[in-house]
Amino acid sequence: MAQPAFATRFPGAVRRLPWLVLALLAVFPLLAPTLGLEYYVGFVRRVLIVAIAATSLNFILGYGGMAALGHAGFIGVGAYTVVALVEAGVSSAWLAWGGALVFGGLAAALIGAVSLRTRGVYFIMITLAFAQMLYYLAVSLRTYGGDDGYGLYTPLAMGPWLDGAHPDVFYWVVLAIAAGVFALFSRVAHSRYGHALRGIRDNETRMVALGYPVFRLKLAGFVAAGAVAGLAGGLLASHNTFVSPGMMHWTQSALLLVMVILGGLGRRWGAPLGVALWLTLEEALKMHTDYWHWPLGVLLLLVVFHAPQGLAALLERRGDRQGGAA
Amino acid sequence: MSLFVAEGLVKRFGGLLATDHVDLTVAPGEIHALIGPNGAGKSTLVNLISGLIPADAGRIVLDGVDLTALAPHQRVRHGLARCFQITSVFRNDSVRDNLLLAVQAQAGSSFRCLRRREAETVLMDGALTLADKVGLAEVLDRPAGTLPHGMQKRLDVALALAARPKLLLLDEPMAGMGPEDSLQMVALIDRLRRDAAILLIEHDMDAVFQLADRISVLVYGRVLTSGDAAHVKGHPEVQSVYLGTEGHA
Repeated sequence: MAQPAFATRFPGAVRRLPWLVLALLAVFPLLAPTLGLEYYVGFVRRVLIVAIAATSLNFILGYGGMAALGHAGFIGVGAYTVVALVEAGVSSAWLAWGGALVFGGLAAALIGAVSLRTRGVYFIMITLAFAQMLYYLAVSLRTYGGDDGYGLYTPLAMGPWLDGAHPDVFYWVVLAIAAGVFALFSRVAHSRYGHALRGIRDNETRMVALGYPVFRLKLAGFVAAGAVAGLAGGLLASHNTFVSPGMMHWTQSALLLVMVILGGLGRRWGAPLGVALWLTLEEALKMHTDYWHWPLGVLLLLVVFHAPQGLAALLERRGDRQGGAA
Repeated sequence: MSLFVAEGLVKRFGGLLATDHVDLTVAPGEIHALIGPNGAGKSTLVNLISGLIPADAGRIVLDGVDLTALAPHQRVRHGLARCFQITSVFRNDSVRDNLLLAVQAQAGSSFRCLRRREAETVLMDGALTLADKVGLAEVLDRPAGTLPHGMQKRLDVALALAARPKLLLLDEPMAGMGPEDSLQMVALIDRLRRDAAILLIEHDMDAVFQLADRISVLVYGRVLTSGDAAHVKGHPEVQSVYLGTEGHA
């Protein structure tokens, strides 16, 4: 890098920045009407939900070196869990989202137990194959709308305390969950487990020779990521009030991957940065042109060539990727 | 009484018999060197013993425990640690982080996921002890990949030592070293015999004759002969297949 990173020049600003962003996000729904930005409250909510999913993907891919190309599958499992529970008469949002978390994790346990026995390209292909199986399963589920999808027209109940308190209460719930998930994964990254996971990413054979139960460690990370992706899927179902097989198509998995790489693989801020940038540009470009894909493609090329470590690398202190300082 | 016994180890790669019914023993406190020309199957044998590749037949017993059916990481838990011929360290991490990772593997669960690892003084102490042992205490903050070759090799040994092995497998620890580094490594291995029995695979004949209590010669996957330095030097077949071609000092 030719010039010193932003972080080296303004260390204080970078430390306070996350709190500032969180505060801005928290007051956004209150300010939006005055600024004429009501529409964007929903947009930011979607960004936050996708960021939850992307953070879980960054955990297994960036920290764990598991190039999973089926993450949208777990999002779909979470979303359809909500559908199934609603169909079964459940009306509590917490129960539905909790179910999405559990079934996302269960799906990841089953898929991971098989896929994690492979490496490299085989792992990419097998996770992709499993996600496509889930996709076709959803297409064939007539009860839940099959190809046409399933509408969730009655909002789920978040309890008497929250419901009706404010029209944007779901926004704050999503923000709280996103912040919690993010803080949790950041914390884990610096724990024994986080260090072990990075060790496996960097040199798996050596980790085996050090006596690490590599397979079990990877599976644990995979299940945690699947559960969180399932939770994101559950939230997304509520956000869209609609669930369709399309949300677990493999292109969705690829898109999630692109956003994480754009933001910075294995970097703390990689996932939220990538998601926010990508979705904001998509939203902005869509207003001006139908051909909004190609500028995004150009952006991706620019990042790959000029900031191959992702955007977060430009902000973070050097060496933080190794988890040394910070 | 042997600490370590390998019996009838066999490994085939297609039609090639890479390991041909090898029997090996290592006594407590012994350095048993394994020599042999390139392609004799030395590295394959180390991989079979450490479990990185599965054996087709044979049995491995360490300190009375049959390790044959165990996964490689479980063998480490039972006291069988190894180094790598091609130095295998975590190149982007500091020497300290390398050692911490090695110590952590043996000190409680690595599924602990909420406490910051830096706060665990037990791990830090273990890492410092290891650094002292192999003479890397001065370079704890250096990224491992930037260390000179000799230091990286010593770090590789330290990573194996973290497991407090009963038997240490050293796969060509002197490979690619200059004379000065070699001397340091020989001194280190000599000190290590107090901590663990050692199976030493090595090309450097000076080092082998200096360190080994017993030498086995591996040729075409078979143990040709086994004995002390004098026996091996005097063995006619050894001279023709190995020492004759490689030249000995």
